[in-house]
Amino acid sequence: MQSFHIRYRNTQGTLMRILNAASRRGLDMPFVQAEQGESEHQVTLILDVNAKQVGQLYREWYAIADVIHVGAGSVHSDAWTDHHPPSGVTIEQQRAAARA
Amino acid sequence: MLKGADIVLQCLRAEGVDLVFGYPGGAIMPLYDALDGSGVRHVLTRHEQGAVFAAEGYARVTGKVGVAMATSGPGATNLVTGIADAKMDSVPLVCITGQVRSALIGTDAFQETDVFGVTLSLTKWSRLVRNIDEIPEVIAEGFHWARSGRPGPVVIDIPTDMLKAKKEFSGPVKFTPHARPADAKAEGGFTDTVVALLQQSLKPVALVGAGAKLSGAIPELRRLLDTLNVPTFATVHGLGAVVPEASYYLGMVGMHGTRAANMALHETDLLLVFGARLDDRVTGDPSRFAPHAKIVHFEIDPAQLDRVRPCEIPVIGDLAETIPAFESELKRHKVPDFGGWRSVACGADRAELDPRGLAQPTIRFLDELFSRLPEDSVILADVGQHQMWAAQRFNSGSPRGFITSGGLGAMGFALPAAVGVQLAKPDTCVLCVSGDGGFQMNIQELATVHRLGLPVKMVIIDNKYLGMVRQWQQLFYERNYAETDLSDNPDFVDIAKAYKIHSFRMKEDVMREFPVSQETGDQIDRFLRSPDPELLVFDCAPEANVFPMVPAGAALSEMLLEEEPTQ
Repeated sequence: MQSFHIRYRNTQGTLMRILNAASRRGLDMPFVQAEQGESEHQVTLILDVNAKQVGQLYREWYAIADVIHVGAGSVHSDAWTDHHPPSGVTIEQQRAAARA
Repeated sequence: MLKGADIVLQCLRAEGVDLVFGYPGGAIMPLYDALDGSGVRHVLTRHEQGAVFAAEGYARVTGKVGVAMATSGPGATNLVTGIADAKMDSVPLVCITGQVRSALIGTDAFQETDVFGVTLSLTKWSRLVRNIDEIPEVIAEGFHWARSGRPGPVVIDIPTDMLKAKKEFSGPVKFTPHARPADAKAEGGFTDTVVALLQQSLKPVALVGAGAKLSGAIPELRRLLDTLNVPTFATVHGLGAVVPEASYYLGMVGMHGTRAANMALHETDLLLVFGARLDDRVTGDPSRFAPHAKIVHFEIDPAQLDRVRPCEIPVIGDLAETIPAFESELKRHKVPDFGGWRSVACGADRAELDPRGLAQPTIRFLDELFSRLPEDSVILADVGQHQMWAAQRFNSGSPRGFITSGGLGAMGFALPAAVGVQLAKPDTCVLCVSGDGGFQMNIQELATVHRLGLPVKMVIIDNKYLGMVRQWQQLFYERNYAETDLSDNPDFVDIAKAYKIHSFRMKEDVMREFPVSQETGDQIDRFLRSPDPELLVFDCAPEANVFPMVPAGAALSEMLLEEEPTQ
């Protein structure tokens, strides 16, 4: 597992283009978290990729017009594959909220 | 106060657009309503795919941004193949689509499609306009991305109410791209390393792709190649970048490339790539592509590096900057003499075989056509066997003289693209070579040719098959010609007549005589020099094949040179 941190201007479609670079390669996306930074946005992805795909993704992301910076993080252990974050709200909580 | 439609057209004019191709419909009607007197000429094609291919043809031959317009829903989805084509072949293209009015977006309204979503992965940049105030900025930014860096397609989707609304308009704006900290210019240090590699090399070669043309660095490239004097070849989109008479030039490389080019590429120990993507039609089996070589890749788009094979030295940047930098470094050193290697790679024993077999008359026909073309003519090829024959026989040093759908391989491209080329170059001879399958995919554009009186010279290589697929079926599927038989084709001569276009048929037998008879030569000359549109249908042997051929998944060194004797 490899984590990627991509900073981008939050213009129309930019996040989708970032995600599409992974999905067009048939990569599962067990973790995706997009958040607003100070003046820009950042998305963190954890992907199961080989070395060749890392290079391809890195360059393809960087070719997107509103991507500012692409960084690759550390290689993660199998811990990331055990669940499917983000799971801030459990199904039970959702059910409870729906019933309320 | 101006309507949004008027603002769009003024912004297009500010971007230098005076010609657009399109097809009207409900959601984009306000834009059509505003065309008259805008200074933007609109060319009506007979299908939106014809419009986008025509815009591509215009862009490919001029280097300017081509513009296509269509309405929402089916109009916009009919543009998709052309958008994908422009992405693959780095064509600057802006597509303006009408969208249902803002209040209806997302309701599955009549003729509503999510064009922004549909085209997201095919475009370099796109926008759904949400406010009339955005129009000037969106158009300026769209054109910037279409033409900057590695050119590509842009979609601007405008709801019909934005086109109808009015606002104060202070004029078109300029777009200034945001600086990115990692936007690296070519590093000066690369030149030392490349020169050092060159000096260590025994068998260097150069491969030229479309990027060399797009950069506008053809004079610099040719000067550099003359200095290097190493065996050189081109991709299908690189044809015309190198002077064909150059003693080091080996022609086209790849699946249907020349024997000499493919062998040199297989044997080289240093591959200098100038603006090519190195796609699978060029590399063959990537694991056995240039197996002994270090690769130096001059490329503007970092996304193209290492896609199928890692390169040792990526040189990222505009070739108009990196080639001169390399050239000036080279001047400070003694360039080795690669005469020994050159004489092997360019030797007579690797020269192309004379055309023979069932394809011989068709190849001779193309040779006759091409040799009789006026200087600076533009040849368009559709997709299939005729495309590869035409590419193999193309023998011009005109950088934008050979236009085809190379990366996407979109049948039906050539005829509408020829419309765009002829409009851009009204005094140039435009020769459009198609197969009988591809011609029927956009045959309706004969009406556009007729309406505009464009003197396009159209050739159909009629083998009554989907020839390239049939060839693969013959060679790799035990002659199971599944659904490739087109023997019930209509009579193309009659069809052209229905469109009021002069047409005639030529039998392949006339090409068995070599040199061709005076009568045949005169017939071809009259065809090429006619001031009117013309269609020539050339009968091709149904089972003629394209050789050399590198089978899919094979190495370039494993090319088939001709039919197996048993077949």
